[in-house]
Amino acid sequence: MTEHKRSAAIRYTLVTLTMCLIIAPFYWIYSSSVKESTEIVSLAPTLFPQTFTLTHYANLLSSSDYPIYLTNSVVVSAATMAITVVLATSAAYGLYRLPFPGSKTLYRMILLAYIFPGSLLLIPLYVMLSSLNLLDTQLALIIINVTFAAPFSVWLLKAFFASIPFELEEAASLDGASWLQTLLRVVLPLASPGVASVAIFAFITSWTEYMFASILIISDANRTLPVGLAGIIGQYVIDWGLLLAGAGATTLPIILLFVLIGRYFVQGLLEGGVKA
Amino acid sequence: MNSKHSRICLTFLGLALFMLALVPAQAQDAVEIVIWHMEQPPQRVERVQGLIDEFNAANPGIVVSQDVQSWGEIYTKAPASVVAGNAPDILFAIPDFTPIIRELGAVQPVDDFVAEIDETHGYFDVGIEPYTSDGHVWAIPLWNMAHAIWYNIDDLEEAGIEELNNWADWANAVEALTGDGRYGIGLPANRNLYTDQVVYNFMINAGASDLYNDDGSLRFNNEQTVQALDFYGQLSQFSPPDSPSWAWGEAEVCLGSGACAMVNQFAFLRSYEANGGDPANLGVMRMPVAEGVEDPGTISYVNAAMILTDDMAKQEAAYEFLRFIFQPDNYGLFLNMEPGLFLPITESGFESETYWSDPLVVQYRDQLETVLDYSRSGRLFGFTGGQTFPSIARISAQNLLSQVGQLVVVDGLDGAAAAEEGEYLMMEAIE
Amino acid sequence: MLGVALVSPLALWLLATIAYPIFSLIRLSFLDVGVIGTGGEFVGFENYQRVLNSRAFWPSMGRSVVWVLGNGLLQTVLAFSAALVLNMPFRGRALARTWVILPWIVPTVVAIIVWKWMLGTSGGIVNTILLRLGVIQEQLGFFSTGNSAMASLVGINSWRFFPLLTIIILAGMQGISKDLYDAAGVDGASAWQRFTNITIPGLKPVLFVMGLVGTLWSVNIFDVIYLITGGGPSRGTLTMPVLIYDMAFLQYRLGRAAAAAVLMAAAVTLFTIAFIYFLAPREADDDDEGWQ
Repeated sequence: MTEHKRSAAIRYTLVTLTMCLIIAPFYWIYSSSVKESTEIVSLAPTLFPQTFTLTHYANLLSSSDYPIYLTNSVVVSAATMAITVVLATSAAYGLYRLPFPGSKTLYRMILLAYIFPGSLLLIPLYVMLSSLNLLDTQLALIIINVTFAAPFSVWLLKAFFASIPFELEEAASLDGASWLQTLLRVVLPLASPGVASVAIFAFITSWTEYMFASILIISDANRTLPVGLAGIIGQYVIDWGLLLAGAGATTLPIILLFVLIGRYFVQGLLEGGVKA
Repeated sequence: MNSKHSRICLTFLGLALFMLALVPAQAQDAVEIVIWHMEQPPQRVERVQGLIDEFNAANPGIVVSQDVQSWGEIYTKAPASVVAGNAPDILFAIPDFTPIIRELGAVQPVDDFVAEIDETHGYFDVGIEPYTSDGHVWAIPLWNMAHAIWYNIDDLEEAGIEELNNWADWANAVEALTGDGRYGIGLPANRNLYTDQVVYNFMINAGASDLYNDDGSLRFNNEQTVQALDFYGQLSQFSPPDSPSWAWGEAEVCLGSGACAMVNQFAFLRSYEANGGDPANLGVMRMPVAEGVEDPGTISYVNAAMILTDDMAKQEAAYEFLRFIFQPDNYGLFLNMEPGLFLPITESGFESETYWSDPLVVQYRDQLETVLDYSRSGRLFGFTGGQTFPSIARISAQNLLSQVGQLVVVDGLDGAAAAEEGEYLMMEAIE
Repeated sequence: MLGVALVSPLALWLLATIAYPIFSLIRLSFLDVGVIGTGGEFVGFENYQRVLNSRAFWPSMGRSVVWVLGNGLLQTVLAFSAALVLNMPFRGRALARTWVILPWIVPTVVAIIVWKWMLGTSGGIVNTILLRLGVIQEQLGFFSTGNSAMASLVGINSWRFFPLLTIIILAGMQGISKDLYDAAGVDGASAWQRFTNITIPGLKPVLFVMGLVGTLWSVNIFDVIYLITGGGPSRGTLTMPVLIYDMAFLQYRLGRAAAAAVLMAAAVTLFTIAFIYFLAPREADDDDEGWQ
């Protein structure tokens, strides 16, 4: 074997190992979710399904409000994404393109919002949201999710905003463009991979959030997917088939979304080459 | 994402969603009753909804609706909702949950209604006591749940085990049953209610039922508790290594799949076959009793409904709904939202035709009758000895019994040291 | 002052959702409140005294430190390895780089279900594979002792978060000039030397921010721990967030929980200050101070 071939073999082995660590659990969810119940809990697990059934998925659809949870999750995540993008872009633009005395300190303060954990803020936030009559509304979740998505988003945007030459903006303003026109026509298009990354980051942050959704939402009609899924875990009985179907169905939409836009998220970050 | 228009679009999208979320619910004229219960599995929700629909159709002046919560969060959510003013009208409860909500002043006494149900349907004796405190009854008993030892008949037959008369027999049997990838018994050592229940079941059958003296002081650290804990540790050696992360479901899987020869468990008729067990192979027996203990028993949970609304019209509507539920035919359907697990708490329910005609109940009738028999002598930690001390709520909310069990199983302490530490933890919890 | 005007919406948003709740939390820590929603008397520092003197507090602080260090170490190792692997040229690289993020995009609850199931002993796949390979003779109880449960939880949590870190590191690697590597190649530097002398220094600003934010994220992790072990067995995984939740909602001592929360936030703040003071990259040739 030549030196070249050997190094290629090592390379592909390493890649395969890495991807196995990532993918294997998902393979296990999906392949098991189509097995009969008795095969799922069998003491000799089967790597490839020996039986095939869609009962668990049928159960999931007929006995839980999966479509409602899905809609709620999409609505909450999309709104979180929209608000986060607007707030973070505007803040990042202010901080990096129009620096003012204290802007660096302010920037640090924003990132340090993560010092205070959600679990500690749960109690006061609950009381606050309830006094605003926002309990059991999706708006409450959107408010919270933006809070936890925005600070990191501002940091993500920095590399993109910092890499745009100031001369471009100056040229635009010499042409008589207002700051808003400059932002929308000059800066944002150049920073668009970063904005896309932020949008996806915010969406995912909201999509996976569990703690607040479980406490702030009371009625089934407003529940998001993670909480709905936790609901079918059940207290006394574990129906692994239903649970795996639920896990699979909860993961599927986000996988599909990533098939469509995943590369923008990763490429956005990579192209921006986070310089920090 | 990078054009001006799509950004504006997104902004409007966000605003539109805001508006949507703010649309208030439509007002209605009928009396609305909101029920919170914690029976999340889909078929239970469906069964309850069926009964609600029937009731609503027959009672035009009342609209009952259910919101399903989880036991994991209700201890946080219910007090918060009482404070926020959006508490339900009816809230399901177990005995140690009631004192917490009572502390907030939100629970209505229901003495008269409970007396009415007792008169028409005949409550079993074990029903009302756990909810009686300070001269009132605070919740309406709905059903009972009780533990027993469930086992795979063929395992015991192969090992030549016939009767387990005492703990020495039991220990020998469990040891003999262990081997060839099979564990003699599945005993949980998690920090949860399930482990609390099993540890307490050992305590009952070692003669350590009472946690409190008559004056409300603790009597946990005693000889019988020590014996129970030591024995728990002894049997745990023959339990699967992941039992420190178990809840009820894992025990079910272990029994049904044949990995465990026996488990200490509620009556889950629905899952045994799904987990790979052959229905004809499911055996049940009373937990063996330690030598010299005179009043053996089993742990049982009476579940109940608390009335939280202080509006008289709503209270009356809530009672009307519960009267409907206690009608024997409806009650049988209600209990069989989880066949076997939920046992009747009234004489008329015990006779109910719908109760005994559920296919699973028919299939496992013998086993179920055995458990029903035990359930009538059931008891619950902190609710024995004729008195209830509200501080039990803090002991059970923190799962201190299972924490003591873990000291023995996980940390390898002996019973005496664990009992001493346990009493300290309990004192700390209730001071 | 257009800049100020543009930053202010976010600043105000965070003030309302973080600063105000912090203020009420601090207030609560001086009151004798039990069950959430009941009133309470002002008791001065009594809550703080009781928390500091309780048996559970310091061990939980210690476990939180172990948790953060364990996660930090494992995630760094995993993320660096994955980033180095994915930075090599191979067919399908773009695809692999996209999908490495997968564990991070699934809800925690899904991760919990699948790992708890895979690590079980009644037919759990991990035990089965290890047994068949002859690596172990008896099934491992991944959650059966405090230490093994802690290690398993660190593993599960790291599996969820290392992908994001991998991508950030990859992005940082893109930002390092190729010329540096070429020059090093001419000088005959080994791969390890190139890694320590060029890659690591080049990544320092990124690593700094991820170290800081990652630490803050992981110290506050609650759901994975609570939903799998509930802080057990034998309090072996009772980290500070779980202890605080315990005090507030299971012991019904809201005031004391608030005091514990404030103490924890103080500890984290001290850590943050030290982290920034000692580790913030200072680059003389650049007008921005690195960790921005």
